Amino acid sequence: MLFSRRLMLGLAMAGTLAGALAFPAMAEGPTEIDLFFPVPVDGKLARDMGTLIKEFNETHPGVKATAVYTGSYDDTLIKTRAAIKAGKPPAAVIMSANFLLDMQIENELTNLDSLIAADGTTKEKFLGQFFPALQGNAVINRSVYGVPFHNSTPLLYINADKAKEAGLDPNKPPQTWAELTDWAKKLTKREGDKVTQWGIAIPCAYDYCGWMMETLTMSNGGRYYNEEFGGEVYYDTPSMLGALTWWNDLVYKHKVHAPGATPGPAVSTSFISGNAAMMMLSTGSLTYVRDNAKFNYKVAFIPRNVRNAVPIGGASLIVPAGLEAEKQKAAWTLIKWMTSPEKSAWWSRATGYFAPNMAAYKTPDMVEFLNKNPDAKTAVEQLDVAKPWFATYKTVPVRKNLEDEVMLVLNGKKQPKEALAAAQKAADETLKPYNAETSLKLP
Amino acid sequence: MSLAEPAALPVATSAAPRLHVLKRFSNRFKASLPAYLLLLPSLVFLALFTYGAMGRVLVDALYQRATPKAPLRFVGLDNIASVLADPAFTGAVVNNLIYAVGTAVPSIALALLFALALARTHAVNSALRAALFLPVLIPMVAASALFLFIFLPNVGLLDYYIGRLLPVLPNWLGDPDIALYAIMIITIWKNAGYYMLFFLAGLQAVPEDVMEAAHLDGAGPYQRLRHIILPELKPTFLFVTVIAILNAVTQVDHVFVMTQGGPSNSTNLVLFYIYQQAVEHYDIGKASAATLLTLAALMGLTALSFRTMANREGGS
Repeated sequence: MLFSRRLMLGLAMAGTLAGALAFPAMAEGPTEIDLFFPVPVDGKLARDMGTLIKEFNETHPGVKATAVYTGSYDDTLIKTRAAIKAGKPPAAVIMSANFLLDMQIENELTNLDSLIAADGTTKEKFLGQFFPALQGNAVINRSVYGVPFHNSTPLLYINADKAKEAGLDPNKPPQTWAELTDWAKKLTKREGDKVTQWGIAIPCAYDYCGWMMETLTMSNGGRYYNEEFGGEVYYDTPSMLGALTWWNDLVYKHKVHAPGATPGPAVSTSFISGNAAMMMLSTGSLTYVRDNAKFNYKVAFIPRNVRNAVPIGGASLIVPAGLEAEKQKAAWTLIKWMTSPEKSAWWSRATGYFAPNMAAYKTPDMVEFLNKNPDAKTAVEQLDVAKPWFATYKTVPVRKNLEDEVMLVLNGKKQPKEALAAAQKAADETLKPYNAETSLKLP
Repeated sequence: MSLAEPAALPVATSAAPRLHVLKRFSNRFKASLPAYLLLLPSLVFLALFTYGAMGRVLVDALYQRATPKAPLRFVGLDNIASVLADPAFTGAVVNNLIYAVGTAVPSIALALLFALALARTHAVNSALRAALFLPVLIPMVAASALFLFIFLPNVGLLDYYIGRLLPVLPNWLGDPDIALYAIMIITIWKNAGYYMLFFLAGLQAVPEDVMEAAHLDGAGPYQRLRHIILPELKPTFLFVTVIAILNAVTQVDHVFVMTQGGPSNSTNLVLFYIYQQAVEHYDIGKASAATLLTLAALMGLTALSFRTMANREGGS
């Protein structure tokens, strides 16, 4: 009796197994693909993504896409790389826009040129849909490797009530570093030695700190890195020295910025609680500020010293290397659909990022939304002066080489000049293997 | 049925017929077969997810590529040498030593204090024990997210109270001189209650009659603690110390959540360094080499503590 039961169980299991193995070969059903997506801001995004993918599957019977939540931007990179190594890459990934170059150097990306050509269009036409500022992080060596999905720029946020209190006109926000310094001085309140309200807060934690340094350096006329070649950064330059010296002065000379390195969430909490009267933060925080500020606020362009310029942030859709042609095609269908004007606009309203597709801002829903929320418009207008996000060989370690030194400066442990010289030296060392293979590999 | 039997299989010393040995072996094997079968599932999983991975790390640690597009090649111990020469690694080791001592000593001292104070079981003590144990139940990641806000400069809970006493407030997680200590406070807060449990159990084992005899002989509370309780708790101390040191190496959730090793690498611990090498630098060779070094240190520590424990048991 026992024997026969075992035998039956075994047969049943074998049958199931055989069925499972045979099924994919026989199936003529939809192409199944995975989309890896991170949630960099808050949990609501995961629900919105579910809604989006459900709609895609309902309107595209030939493809069955599954959205796989993969954690932060960094985690998404780890998981994508692990999946590629295991020989089972996802068909599409929403990847932090400044990881693309590093992945391309490691041969982990599919060149999208042939997929664009197969649609009967040209690269120029395809990229022309998106804001020009976003194209720099999507194109590598004149080939398209990513499609912009959701993006951001840094903004100046002002507590309008506190500005009025201090006799400043929030409708005429500071446009230059001189004006901003003046505003910050007037907005700082002290009781003896103790500061009860800071004039301005600028975040500095790993990731944010590098982005803010790029922002200040660009506004000071400079560049952070070589946009054309992944082996160079410009840390030890007058423009970056000016940027870091000004930041250092805000802390130790004018005493209008809290000392030490302050992470992004601490900066936004400080602003919301009225402890800081102004802050520089991503457009991605706009929805959070809109929902939580119990005072009137204004957003403005990042003030300039030499010129108005800011870097972009955010993520692009990529197709990992090593996929079968059929899955590549299905992924391409999904990517085109997700970055179309209507979907792009919907995602932008749901998340607070701006929509990379310019036509998104001509859709009726978006026009209405912008009329209701004019602050969202500032972010879009600033795109005219936006430039690519730094991306080099080993972007993260190279960025950290700078951030560690900036943190020392903000803590009063080093002077800007020596800090930047040390950062440059460390970054050159990190970039050495890549240069050995490219710029310094001579005939 | 004993699991040790196959290992202790005697080598055939006499010139007994081969068949006899084989038969004896097969008999023994038959006898312990059920034990192996019972062990098999966990052996399979250990092999797949622990030993397999360790083997892979061992192999990966021996390979490196010179430039990004160059193929992987065998480099022997070069990876280990470059890890040891990396100031970020030595910095992480120093941080980790400070962190291990600075968390193990206070949390064990607190745990002992709590256990001594709450040794007798009654309603009030049970409630207090539960209160002290509560931090153990909160996942480290959740606790770190909470403390991120407690430590917020100027507006956080801590500064809200300290702000009334000090004119200049510390930037708890943003100052490289303070950040590591802020991280250590969380670890102590979280682990003291856990170690208390072991000491409470240890105190149960202190022989009642010895205590009574000491009492009758007029030994005061300090003398009883010094000469009876502490010596009796020695094995507990040893065990808790090992656990505390292992925790100091393996629990880095709060570093991930709160500081990412910063500012300026001041809270970078060894495990986080390995993560950085593997993920940020994408340098699997160096990450594997650092993992091997850490594993070797941990295994050495564990072996040492097991031997000490075995010696004690054997000697007493």
